[in-house]
Amino acid sequence: MIRHAVAEGWLLVRSRGVVSIVLAVVLAVPVSLAGVTLSVRGWLDPVIDLGQRENVVMVLLHPRLDDSERAAWLDDQARVHPGWRLEPVPPAELARRLGEWFPYLAEVLDREGPEMLPPLVEITTTEPEQVAELAGQEQVLAVGPTSSVNRLVGRTAQHLAVVLLTVAVVVAIGAVLLAAVWVHLELHRHAEEIAIMRLMGATEATVRGPFLVAVAVPSLLAATLSVGATVATVSWLARLAAPFGVVGGTPPWPVVAGEIVGAVGLPLAAALLTLERYAADDDE
Amino acid sequence: MIRLRDLTKDYDRRQILRGIDLAVDPGEMVFLTGPSGAGKTTLLRLLYAAERPTSGEVWIAGCRVDTLTRSELPPLRRKIGVIFQDFKLLRRKTVLENVNFVLRFHGVPSKEAHERAYQVLKRLGLHHRQSALPESLSGGEQQRVAIARALVYQPRLILADEPTGNLDADLAAELLSLLCDINYQGATVVVATHDIGLLESLPARTLVLHRGRIDYDGMWPP
Repeated sequence: MIRHAVAEGWLLVRSRGVVSIVLAVVLAVPVSLAGVTLSVRGWLDPVIDLGQRENVVMVLLHPRLDDSERAAWLDDQARVHPGWRLEPVPPAELARRLGEWFPYLAEVLDREGPEMLPPLVEITTTEPEQVAELAGQEQVLAVGPTSSVNRLVGRTAQHLAVVLLTVAVVVAIGAVLLAAVWVHLELHRHAEEIAIMRLMGATEATVRGPFLVAVAVPSLLAATLSVGATVATVSWLARLAAPFGVVGGTPPWPVVAGEIVGAVGLPLAAALLTLERYAADDDE
Repeated sequence: MIRLRDLTKDYDRRQILRGIDLAVDPGEMVFLTGPSGAGKTTLLRLLYAAERPTSGEVWIAGCRVDTLTRSELPPLRRKIGVIFQDFKLLRRKTVLENVNFVLRFHGVPSKEAHERAYQVLKRLGLHHRQSALPESLSGGEQQRVAIARALVYQPRLILADEPTGNLDADLAAELLSLLCDINYQGATVVVATHDIGLLESLPARTLVLHRGRIDYDGMWPP
């Protein structure tokens, strides 16, 4: 039975060579695109992760605010922005930091004492741009930093990955539908032969086997093409990204395994469903 | 070998077969005759389960056929050799492939299937056309390929629907002789025909179907 399926399936592939190659390429493109995307996303994970982390924005308040006005301002911000974490920095800590960052200020700070420094509040948030809006308030002297390069790069990489994966899924659905339509058309073309085979005592496995083989051949070709294309593209991108400090490499094995399973499994599943639905007609 | 009990078949409220009761013993040769539209082909189709009866029972070799599921049909059909009126040859396969592909369903190794198919074709005088496609054969040759396909796996029951319809008198006599040989070797043979000459050339049990009923069951000529 297996030999019959392979022999007849191979005849089907040969008689529809162009369709088989088109199917293999159409399958390989989205699978490879998904593989490249997932591989590159793996390299960018640290950047994406950094971009998703919380940012600390420093807000320097006006020195003329007394303690009660400062406390009222902090309460007000905590109420309006419940996602922010507001932490006043003690004057001594601010003086220590300034002394570390700007050693030439150490003498002035020692002489005048930390009380002369304006109050500093650290706001921890995932949306530093929102903190920038505080700059217009009369209680606020300065705000910064209000954007994050890491965050921008991380989000861009994340969005790019989502877009590429979406494109891959859409094209893959198209390829799977193409496989299903092809099987359906071949069933129609061979309807008379199938009816005769059944009358001669062929089992369903004997009838359907050749169609599965005919889909399996371009699927295996698609898997080979997609893995090859993914390895080549990922290597090329790794060379391009190396000067920017991104450490790339070959595609991870789960990605390669996923490509093979996807390229072979999806069209075969589509073929099985199509055969189940349309190959079960009456004999004649 | 064959048991029919109160068999009825309707198409769109038109009764094709009405209350057929029949028993054919193993090794019997039976002719089924009657005018066109009498129900000969329908009766054969019910025997190889291409149709289900409207009511009644069909038994082949102790197995009730009319209640079999799709997955239970192939083993039954492998016990029956059917010679179709319209040949039902695979157009894209050669003569040899048309005959040996059936053996492959039966699990016969391809080399042996090839040899057996060739021998049957040789017996029917078609071995020199083994590589031809059916469309390049005459009606008589196509008929003989269909016969070769039905005989190649040596079934215990052979159903032939107008097997001599496309053959000249000599070939028809040759075919009849072949069917007799097979019957002599123990196979049950049921031949549907309206060829009176065929019936008269071989005294055998004959069923005359008329308007869906068996009008006569006995030796022919009466």
